[in-house]
Amino acid sequence: MLHINRNCNFVCKSVKQFRQLSIHVPLCGHRWYPDKEYLRQFFGSVMYPTPETDKYFRIIYSSQIRPVERKLKNMWINFGPQHPAAHGVLRLILELDGETVVRADPHIGFLHRATEKLMEYKHYNQSLPFMDRLDYVSTLANEQGFCIAVEKLLNIEVPPRAKAIRVLCAELIRIANHMLNVSGTILDAGGITPFFWMCEEREKLYEMFERLCGARVHCCYLRPGGVAQDIPIGYLDDVYELIHKLGLRFDETEDIATTNRLFYARCAGIGIVSAHDAMSLGFTGPMLRATGVKWDIRICHPYDGYDLYDFEGVVGTFGDIYDRYLLRLEEARQSFRIINQVIDTMPEGEFKTDDSKVCMPSRKEMKTSMESLIHHFKLCSEGYPVPPGFTYTAIEAPKGELGVYMVADGTSKPYRVHLRPCSYTHILGMSVMGPRLMLADITMLIASIDVVFGDVDR
Amino acid sequence: MSFLALDKWARLFRIIKQNGGIFKTTYKLWRFDTLKEGTFVGSDMFGNKYYENNFYFFGRNRWVEYHPRFAWEYDATHVTADWYGWLHNKTDNRPCEDCAKYYMNCNEYVNNWLMPFSENLTGTEKAYYPWSTVNHHICVWDGCAMCNRQPKK
Amino acid sequence: MSLAKIFSVSSRVRASGASSLVVRHAQYSTPAQEGKTEKVYPPTAPGFKYVNAEDPNMTMKALTDRAAQTLFWTELARGFAVTLAHIFKEPATINYPFEKGPLSPRFRGEHALRRYPSGEERCIACKLCEAICPAQAITIEAEERKDGSRRTTRYDIDMTKCIYCGFCQEACPVDAIVEGPNFEFSTETHEELLYNKEKLLSNGDKWESEIASNIRADHLYR
Repeated sequence: MLHINRNCNFVCKSVKQFRQLSIHVPLCGHRWYPDKEYLRQFFGSVMYPTPETDKYFRIIYSSQIRPVERKLKNMWINFGPQHPAAHGVLRLILELDGETVVRADPHIGFLHRATEKLMEYKHYNQSLPFMDRLDYVSTLANEQGFCIAVEKLLNIEVPPRAKAIRVLCAELIRIANHMLNVSGTILDAGGITPFFWMCEEREKLYEMFERLCGARVHCCYLRPGGVAQDIPIGYLDDVYELIHKLGLRFDETEDIATTNRLFYARCAGIGIVSAHDAMSLGFTGPMLRATGVKWDIRICHPYDGYDLYDFEGVVGTFGDIYDRYLLRLEEARQSFRIINQVIDTMPEGEFKTDDSKVCMPSRKEMKTSMESLIHHFKLCSEGYPVPPGFTYTAIEAPKGELGVYMVADGTSKPYRVHLRPCSYTHILGMSVMGPRLMLADITMLIASIDVVFGDVDR
Repeated sequence: MSFLALDKWARLFRIIKQNGGIFKTTYKLWRFDTLKEGTFVGSDMFGNKYYENNFYFFGRNRWVEYHPRFAWEYDATHVTADWYGWLHNKTDNRPCEDCAKYYMNCNEYVNNWLMPFSENLTGTEKAYYPWSTVNHHICVWDGCAMCNRQPKK
Repeated sequence: MSLAKIFSVSSRVRASGASSLVVRHAQYSTPAQEGKTEKVYPPTAPGFKYVNAEDPNMTMKALTDRAAQTLFWTELARGFAVTLAHIFKEPATINYPFEKGPLSPRFRGEHALRRYPSGEERCIACKLCEAICPAQAITIEAEERKDGSRRTTRYDIDMTKCIYCGFCQEACPVDAIVEGPNFEFSTETHEELLYNKEKLLSNGDKWESEIASNIRADHLYR
């Protein structure tokens, strides 16, 4: 045994030395683990009292010593950035008075990737995968915002089938997002079971996205001018089947959590924000609607043909965590309605605009027609020029308003892109909603404002 | 029958019979963590056997039993490219029924360059390690006089 | 809390975070206007639906029902029952290396360089993939070969930079670079993920049957 060990060590050492000479040596997968020899040095007593040690550290207690005057101040704790309830890399500095939060100060920037700056150096199409990585729970909605912004600058209209596919994608991802958030809220309140159910269902949704575009999460499916590929045959049937059964899981989750007194006590009346505050803080989406403000961009400023579908925007009453929870559940159910209508009315026709200066030709065309091949090379190598102008385009992402402010200078790269993320403004509300809550409620609050740090930090 | 859960016992006995006795079944349970009955669909170049039973739900209805010589060293990448699509529910065609694969394997030109499938070799001696595929464009001065320098190959 | 839920005139009596009772009636009211009791909920707004807006039913029967629910823990029991029912259902997990989850022909996994049936490599070093790659993970160098055809001498993909967007296979005019079906290419070291041309070609040679079958399966949409 000892022999083998020594041998092993020798091999490791020689490999190491060899690696220093030349890096072209694989690691060979050798690992050292603590052996008996190594562990032996930790056996036996380490220190014991002797007459010598008695001389040190002798403290004489007597009533003569005056107590030290201490200055008390509130406790500060660091919540995160590696806290499991922080839903990402949120570093929250909490000032506590006992167990009550006096000040909550969110620190951000741990996931900053300079997306906006990167976009200035990429063609419009190349920036599209970056949009997936913003709010990585609602990827397709981000892509939709970006695509609509570029289409506005280009002044093109996408064909109705592409619009319907986009609505389908956006609503599917809205369901996925709300499933994660609702079950995450319940998880933070102490109920872990619905989280597993919802993860299972979300997995099925991701499989659907995988069928569409080949990737489960970072889809990169929508394109300015349409979508990348047509939906596969039989896809809508499977979506219908899935949506049909998904409502059951929502019912089960509601059975467990909605009327449950423990959940109610953890949610109701906590994290209240008034409509006035919500609007002045710039809240959007479920956070704003939970306070009773009727603002849903899908209804107020319909895009991508949302005005063709019959659905209701969901509005809450109190603006507390419980209302946001109910609102998200109901909003997901409204998404079922929209998806069912999309499935019923999916139009035939093109799935991307036929403007060959913007959209890549199909592979068949590209291989048979010289003109298409030239377009293909042009679009791949330098993208398409976008006429000078600027736009602020907002869509209703699952978390709120996703705005894309884009300045085009006539070249194929944007001059400036600003992304208005929803989580970013919501996380700032922590400092307003956080104080006067108990420490344990902070996790519930973080869950219910639905932050994703890809979105906050961009 | 199903009311008394007798069908479950019947299934258990069928599985034991299919696997060839109590001990072989136990061994299989030890290796694969689950016992299932299914119809044998085919086997690949490693000798892994592929089974199907639509009684189990979608995702569990197709499975592979790795060849006994892998023992507990089986790896997900032991599934060959031919069977990959079938096992991942991409297609219902077995490799011999898939015309793209059929054409591949029958075409002798293709057979000249098709490589036998190999597992993910990371952590072993045979693991891939990157090297540069280009010749050096710049010759570093090796200290010799110009006339003595050997041309680089 | 539960008592407040049963007997309150309005369900909008809830403990606020500051452990005092706050009565909220209209959401549009600012904190200064609290206590105003005009009934504004649920308002009728077309296209919008209110959650949690109805006042609780205050008939004797409804009150008794709510009291019974609180006393007998019915909602807790129901929750437990729903959870318990799932124990008897089939688990949704799959036994991974033996059973694998569904994939589609469009799956974008490990890259591979393909060949023509004759064995000639497809890539013509047009560098479209290098140009379109958003993560700049592809490096190509090309030279003229002895027979006069233009081929790559270096085709490196840094798989740790790659974001698997699939733009390279979309850009490739000769279907040379594809994102194959394989997702099980994890490695122990970083270096092993810096693929060079030989590795990509050997990937293609190993996976060609599956790649060809995928392209065939998806031919209607290409």
